[in-house]
Amino acid sequence: MRARDIDKENLVKQKAIEIIGKGGFESFSVNKLAKACGISVATIYIYYKDKHDLLSQLATEHGHLMGQSMLHNFDPEASFEDGLRQQGENRYRYMTDNPVISLFYEQLRTSPYQEQFLATFKADAYEPFSKFNENIVARGEVRDMPLEIYWSVAFAPLYALVKFNNEGKSIGGKPFKMNDKMLWEAFDLVVKGLKK
Amino acid sequence: MENFDHILLFKTDIRSEEDKRVLQPVLDKNKNIEQWNVDLNDEDYVLRIISYKLKHEQVIELVQDQGYMCTELK
Repeated sequence: MRARDIDKENLVKQKAIEIIGKGGFESFSVNKLAKACGISVATIYIYYKDKHDLLSQLATEHGHLMGQSMLHNFDPEASFEDGLRQQGENRYRYMTDNPVISLFYEQLRTSPYQEQFLATFKADAYEPFSKFNENIVARGEVRDMPLEIYWSVAFAPLYALVKFNNEGKSIGGKPFKMNDKMLWEAFDLVVKGLKK
Repeated sequence: MENFDHILLFKTDIRSEEDKRVLQPVLDKNKNIEQWNVDLNDEDYVLRIISYKLKHEQVIELVQDQGYMCTELK
C-alpha cells in the first residue's frame, strides 16, 4: 500500500526544478526525475496524472511562491525609494537564496507553462504593484513612462548582478560574488535615474 | 493513512493519439474504470487507471487484447 509522503513530494518538486533549470524542459522526464529522487516512477504517477500535470502544478505553485516572496513587507503606499528598495531586496534574497529557482524561471519563461505561472503570480502581485506604480507617478516622484522602460531600469541591473552571482562569474569569465553593498550601490544609481 | 490502491499504473507502448483512440472504446465503456489517461509525452507511456474494482491482471489482458504491450509499473 502506498501512502502520501510530504517529504517525498517536496523532494520531487525540488529535483524537478533542478533538472529543468539545468537542462530545460526537453531534458526532463518522469523517469529521470524518479531516478534523481531515488523513488519509483510509479510513486510519481500516484501524485500526478501525467508529466503535463506535474509541470502545470509546478508552474502554478511557483507563480504563487514568487508572488508572495515579492510582496514580503511591501507597502503599495510607500514612497518610491522605500517601495523600490523593498522590491529590490525581496527579489535579491529570493534569487540568491535559491539559485536553482532562477534557472528554473528562465526555462519557464520560454515554455508553454509560463502562462500558468503568470496567472498565479498576477493574482497575488498585480494589484499591489499596479497601485504602487500609479502612486509614484501621481505623487510626481517618477515621470510617467511605458512600463517596460520603468521595469528595465528598475530591475535589469539587479537581475544582471544576480545572474553573475549565481554563475560565479561576470564579464569575460571574471570570478564574481555579489554582496549587499553592491546591491545598494546599483540601487542608488537606479533611484537617481528614475526620480523626477 | 491515505490509500492509493485504486490508482493502477502500467508501462505500455501506447505512443500516439491514434494508439490511444484504439483503446478508447474499450476503456471508456468499462464501468469499473472511473477515469483513465495515457501519458503520451513521457518515455514509459504510462497508462493510469482509477478503479476500485479492477486488478492489474485484468487491465493487462484488456490492453494486450488490443495488440499493445502492457505491464504493471512498480
